[in-house]
Amino acid sequence: MTTVKRVERIAVAVVLAILVGVPGLVFSYQALRARNGQRGEILVVARTVERGGWRPARIVVRRGQTVKLRILAEDVTHGFQLLHFGVNAGAIKTGTTRVVEFTPDRVGDFPFYCSVRCSPLHMALMGTLVVE
Amino acid sequence: MRGRLAALTLVAALAGGLLLLTGFLVAPPKGREVEVPLTVQRFAFSPARISVEAGDRVTFRIRSLDITHGFSVEGRGIDATVLPGREVRVTVPAEHPGKIRYRCSVICGPLHPFMVGEIVVQPNRWPLWGGGLALVVGFLASTGVTRSAARRDLLSWRPLHWLLTRRPFQFALIAPNLLAFTLIVLAGLVGTTTGAMNFSTIFVWLTWWGLLVLLLIPLGGRVWCAMCPIPGPGEWLARGAIVDRARRTLGLGWAWPKQLQNLWPAFGGLLVLVLFGLIVTTRPLVTALLLLGLALVALVTHLVFERRVFCRYLCPVGGLLGVYSMAAPLELRARDLEVCRQCRGKACFRGGEGYPCPTFQFPGGGMARNTYCLLCTECLKACPYDNLAVSLRPFGADLLVGRGRRADEAWIALLLLGTALAHSVIKLGPWGWIKSWANFDGTVEFLLYAALFFGVVLVALPALSLLTAWLSRAVAGSARVGLGRLFVDYAYALIPLSLAAWMAFTLAVVLPNLSYIPRVLSDPLGWGWDLFGTREVAWAWVPLGVLPWAQLALLLVGLWGSVRTARPIVTEALGEGRAARRGLVPLTGLLVVIAWAFLALYLG
Repeated sequence: MTTVKRVERIAVAVVLAILVGVPGLVFSYQALRARNGQRGEILVVARTVERGGWRPARIVVRRGQTVKLRILAEDVTHGFQLLHFGVNAGAIKTGTTRVVEFTPDRVGDFPFYCSVRCSPLHMALMGTLVVE
Repeated sequence: MRGRLAALTLVAALAGGLLLLTGFLVAPPKGREVEVPLTVQRFAFSPARISVEAGDRVTFRIRSLDITHGFSVEGRGIDATVLPGREVRVTVPAEHPGKIRYRCSVICGPLHPFMVGEIVVQPNRWPLWGGGLALVVGFLASTGVTRSAARRDLLSWRPLHWLLTRRPFQFALIAPNLLAFTLIVLAGLVGTTTGAMNFSTIFVWLTWWGLLVLLLIPLGGRVWCAMCPIPGPGEWLARGAIVDRARRTLGLGWAWPKQLQNLWPAFGGLLVLVLFGLIVTTRPLVTALLLLGLALVALVTHLVFERRVFCRYLCPVGGLLGVYSMAAPLELRARDLEVCRQCRGKACFRGGEGYPCPTFQFPGGGMARNTYCLLCTECLKACPYDNLAVSLRPFGADLLVGRGRRADEAWIALLLLGTALAHSVIKLGPWGWIKSWANFDGTVEFLLYAALFFGVVLVALPALSLLTAWLSRAVAGSARVGLGRLFVDYAYALIPLSLAAWMAFTLAVVLPNLSYIPRVLSDPLGWGWDLFGTREVAWAWVPLGVLPWAQLALLLVGLWGSVRTARPIVTEALGEGRAARRGLVPLTGLLVVIAWAFLALYLG
């Protein structure tokens, strides 16, 4: 009788562990990644304008410090172009990432664009790099 | 006379095959240089289908009209990226007669996995030869050879018997699937909306569906139902226990309404599911909501009604599995019916040490077919006489069981066959317009598609089947047999062929897209994770050259099984001898035509 009760308790624990643990693990791992920032890397997700555009659309960095952006093309193939600092990542295929690195030497707001046609609103896919 | 004719047709068919093989052996003649301007646009190539002669070299000048696409030739290792605004030239040598398929290789939207085009290399004798072979197979299968009725009880192997009679056994099967289910729902709700990069769409419609159709159904029938996590929570709450045999139920335990004690609710659900098939299988959110919705319905019905009403009457996948499980080589039955007759408690049906049968089956008397058996192993635990057997048996054994054939099951069988054909056209065919119609790109277009879909699946195919039954009855001269009964009976003969067609279809969907599985394992939500370092594995092309051969083999085996099933069905309905032989001709004809339609679609 006691073994039956024990098995039942284990089963309940397993079910709860799955239902609570899976979301818990997923979100805490994501939070961990966001906090550590992957050794100074900033993840920039590229989406078409129809699906929300750049995320984040506004990136704040400091002058003179090297910036490392990891760009993830989330829905279709995108590009990343920051002309003021001579950055052009080329075509980034869907689901893949590419890292760009540069050191901003001027203070100000600089626009970055998608450089590969990604939707009818491709030209409007724009974000801002703020150098302080 | 008959033997000689069979031998002659066999020789003719093999000669046809030899002719086909010479196409592969002979060095291709020096052909023309063919240049084709090819435009790509979500989600089709234009022209989607071109025809050249063997030996030609086809050079595509590819231009994208919208966004970035790819151009990859199946099984050839040719892959190019097509950026918008830039023309790409790709040369494909067309050495051998047959069909060369190419597809988009850069994810470009929801329908990307189904964005394909074809080069037909003439003289393409595949459909002709395959059709000839189908005719011979159909003819040979229709000549009577006795089939064995042997059973082999797996439970005589004691470790298996021990395992299946443990109470935690079923939970141990469900738990890993509950884990996957939770991740699927979570990924669908909060993960990326790009289907090809989301764990939910890939694991449900590639991994689960692939394993289900290619492995679990053909070998184990409804064995998936034993491990399905969807009814789990509802059942556990209603029982007030997960593993234990609880004596009191917490559910209300109402009886299911009499009018709905059939598979029509499942038929309706299945109809909606396959109508929206293209949308459901490519959208993570829709996939997650579908699974969650099914789990919620299961939860409510299990709390309100008795036993597993959801699995028995409502689940659309259950309807599909129920029909195909009759063809599986695995069954759970009472070992000795005399023991059951003497048994007073009927613990398998009423409950005892194990729960009563969740789908209201009584292995000791009424259960002669797999259709409603979930293989949950409760009866094994309940039976005080250890009188149950899980046996291996010949394929398709239940299809010959006349008792219990029903119109709802027959209509599901017809629906499944029609859907296999429709989804082959929509998903595997090169025709972009039907993809966009089925994708709900516009309301009018979708309504047109729905009309077309229902026209084929609910009208044309059943009408063809009814015509076959009528013809069969007419040529056999048995006018007194009811046409409705014949229509229902004949539908069961379609089941092996339709299962084989689903396997051929699934093979063509799963094999070229296998590389998505390691990708989403590494990054299940499409958030840029890389758990296993496989988030960007390149396209590893499995030898897709074998695909047409595998599809041909599957369809021929399915046809063989169907005609072998048809013979006893016709004999039982129309009588022995001459009547049966004559009555079989229209049904065999229908089966050969259907098999050929699939062959023409896949190879033509």
